[in-house]
Formats: sequence, C-alpha cells, structure tokens
Amino acid sequence: MALAIFNILVFPGFLFLSVYALALEYVDRKMYARLQNRKGPPWFQPLADFIKLLGKETIIPADVDKPVFKLLPVFTLAAVTSAFLYVPIWGTNSLFPFEGDLIVVLYLLTIPTLTFFLAGWLSNSLYGAIGSVRTVTQLFSYEVPLFMALLSPAILADTWKISGMAEFYQAHPLYILLNLPAFIVAIIAIQGKLERVPFDSPEAETEIVAGSFVEYSGRLFAIFRMAIAAELVVVASLAGAIFFPVFAANPWLGFLIYLLKTLIIVAILAVFKSIMARIRIDQMVMFCWRYLAPLAILQIIINLLLKGVLPI
Amino acid sequence: MAKRNIIEKAIDWSRRKSPWIIHFNAGACNGCDIEVVDALTPRYDVERFGMLLKGTPRHADVLVCTGAVTLQTRDRLKRIYEQMPEPKFVLAVGTCACSGGIFEDCYCVSGGMDTVVPVSAYIPGCAARPEAILDAVVKLLTSLEKSQKAIDN
Ligand code: SF4
Repeated sequence: MALAIFNILVFPGFLFLSVYALALEYVDRKMYARLQNRKGPPWFQPLADFIKLLGKETIIPADVDKPVFKLLPVFTLAAVTSAFLYVPIWGTNSLFPFEGDLIVVLYLLTIPTLTFFLAGWLSNSLYGAIGSVRTVTQLFSYEVPLFMALLSPAILADTWKISGMAEFYQAHPLYILLNLPAFIVAIIAIQGKLERVPFDSPEAETEIVAGSFVEYSGRLFAIFRMAIAAELVVVASLAGAIFFPVFAANPWLGFLIYLLKTLIIVAILAVFKSIMARIRIDQMVMFCWRYLAPLAILQIIINLLLKGVLPI
Repeated sequence: MAKRNIIEKAIDWSRRKSPWIIHFNAGACNGCDIEVVDALTPRYDVERFGMLLKGTPRHADVLVCTGAVTLQTRDRLKRIYEQMPEPKFVLAVGTCACSGGIFEDCYCVSGGMDTVVPVSAYIPGCAARPEAILDAVVKLLTSLEKSQKAIDN
C-alpha cells in the first residue's frame, strides 16, 4: 500500500513526471533554439516559467462556469499522470500491467484533447471557440492513424499489453523493422496529438491568439502547461516502449536506456518543429486521411499477413 | 520590513527570469513595430532572457507598446492593460510612445503612453533600435532585482 502510494506520487508517478516534463521541455526548446542558430533559454527556464505563472494573478472571466473552468486543468494533468503509470520505464514491466493497458493509455491520452476543447468552448471567447473546434477537427484526423499505428505492432505481438509487446519485441528484435511504416505514422500523428508545429493550428498564436487557452491565466494556465509538457513525456515513453524495444534487466541501466529513448523521440520532434511551418487545418485533415490512414492500414494488413507466415 | 520567506523569493526570481511580452500598436507609424518584430527574430534571441511573445494579454507580463496613443486606441489600450494579470509592466517603445513625438499636439492624439497607462521604461529613438529594446528590457529586469533586494535588506 505504502509502496503503491510512493509509486503514484513520487516515482515514477507525479513528482518524477513533473520534473522530467520540465527537463524535456528544456531539451525541446534548447534544441529548437540551436537549430535556429541561437543560444536558447537557460536550463532553469521551464521551471522559472512554471513558478512565475503559479505566482501570478489568476483571472477568471465573469461569465464562465467557474467550477468547470477551474477543474479542467487539474483533470488534464490527472489523466496524463494516470496514463504514465501504465507505461514501462525501467524494464519491460510497467507499474500496474494488465491485458489491454495499451487501449487504456491511448484513451487516457485522448482526455487532454477533450479538456482543451472544453476549455476553449467554456471560456466564452471567440478565439477560444475557434481553437477548440480546430482541436476537435484535428482529433478526428490524427487519432485514427495514431491508434492504428500503435495497435499494429500489438497485432504482431498478439497481445494488448504494453509490457507483453515489449517482451515479444525484445525476444524478436528484428521484427521491429517490420513496424517502420507504423513508426513513421506514429511520429507524425504524435505531433498532431501534442499540437506541435506543423499541426499547431489549434493554438496558432499569430491568428487566433492562443486557441483554447486564451482566457486562462496564472495558476490554471501553469497547470495546463505542465500537463502539456507531461503529455510529451508520456507519448515519448509510449512510443519508445513500443518502437525501440531495448530493455535491460538491471533497473539502473534500464532507466538510462529509457532516458535515451525519450530523448531521441524529443529530438526527432524538435527537428520537425524547426524545419516545418504551420499548415492549415483543412490541409492537415486532408494529409492525415489521404496519406497517414492508408499507410497505417497497410501496416495492419502487412502485420496480419506476416502473423501467419513468421515463426513466433 | 518583515523578512520574506523562500517562496516569495522564488517567485521574485522567476518573475525576473521569465518576462513574457505582448506587443501592441497604439498608433505608431509602423516603424517601431518593425523594430520590435526585428528584436524577436533569432538574430537577437530574446529567449536568452526567457522572453516569449504571447498573443493574449492573459499570459503576458510586459506590454510592449509603440506609438503615440490616438483617441481611437486609447480605450483599447486601457482594456488590454486591464486584461493582463498582476504584476505587469509597460514598455514604451519609440519617441512617440515616450512623449507623443512628431504627433504631439495632433488633434487626434492624447499624447505619450503615460497619459493612459503607467509606464515602467521608456525607450527613445525614431525608430528605437532592437538593441535599445533589449537593453531596456534587461535594465527593467535589473531594476526589478534591485528593488526586490532593497525590500529584503
Ligand atoms: S518613434 Fe518614429 S518610427 Fe516610432 S512610431 Fe514614432 S514616428 Fe514611427
């Protein structure tokens, strides 16, 4: 009982996730800056931003639903943190593995998108409303390819359990090469999920000021930012566990490998962020349904066929 | 003066390290706005000081304002200022924002920025150079640090 509470609150739960989220946000921003040939923020920048927002005045607009408005950021952070508990970190096993946890993690990761929608919609601002409609439109286009891309390795491994998949691919390391199309689809769809460039039209600051978060300030916005940074960690860990099946028996070594895997994924995302420009929401929908979804379906078909052929 | 505890000190520190800005044109000829935008390019790298450009006043700490305040924008400027959460600062960029500049005494102009909102730092120049803008921000943050230290001692 005490160990479970420690696991949930400190490691690898809430506290570790928050610290690592700030660290990865720094890595992301620093890499982005270096790729633009500038010096970039100092190492404490995400922490300073977070503390500053916590210490600022929190303005709640007069005509919003106050309890929901205050609850949404907390809800987002809670969903992301619970998803993190089911992702393997130092070995092939997560904290509480069970058959079907892959689906649970994917659904918990959908909750932030829905709370972003509600946040924008409820804040009674035109920009917020446009931002939230775009958030949901985007959800419908990247979610299907993302699910298919993460589930097709599961088809080959014949399990819905993330740790089961990890064990399978550790036993058959070469099979992971078959999932290369799924990895490409997942990396692209992840950028839609995290609302990063080039799919950041839901919060495009140059056209609709800040999208869903336009009315959020101070403490509530700090929690939102933390949740977004934590979502990056969870998604990177999930993709690392599924597509880079390198695990070690030694927990320390395993933890180092985990850090390396997430850093690689964040590096890929940072490179995309610096070489791309924002694309319009209709172009995004078009791209996802025309190219990503067929590629993901192709991967599923390949994996289904291979399953009958390959020795497992 | 009572000694402040570590949390208040941490908040003071973070305020100096992460000034997020919002840019507002209150009636500038656009010369100063180009210079503000120039200061935000990778060449000058304001993220070194933790500065980020924000679109909404709700997220911003520093209102970077250009131009003499026209009667048309006066109420809007006030409104943007009031929409920002405390604590907040105003930078007046360009001679027009400092005093009215060449638009002084014009029939449609209420004068410098300080006729409408309290200003923390004035940056003269027609137009103010990006280096001058960065210098002003750093000076503002240093003076903030000094006054915070003065409260401590
Ligand atoms: S100071 Fe000069 S450049 Fe700036 S707004 Fe006034 S006239 Fe234009």
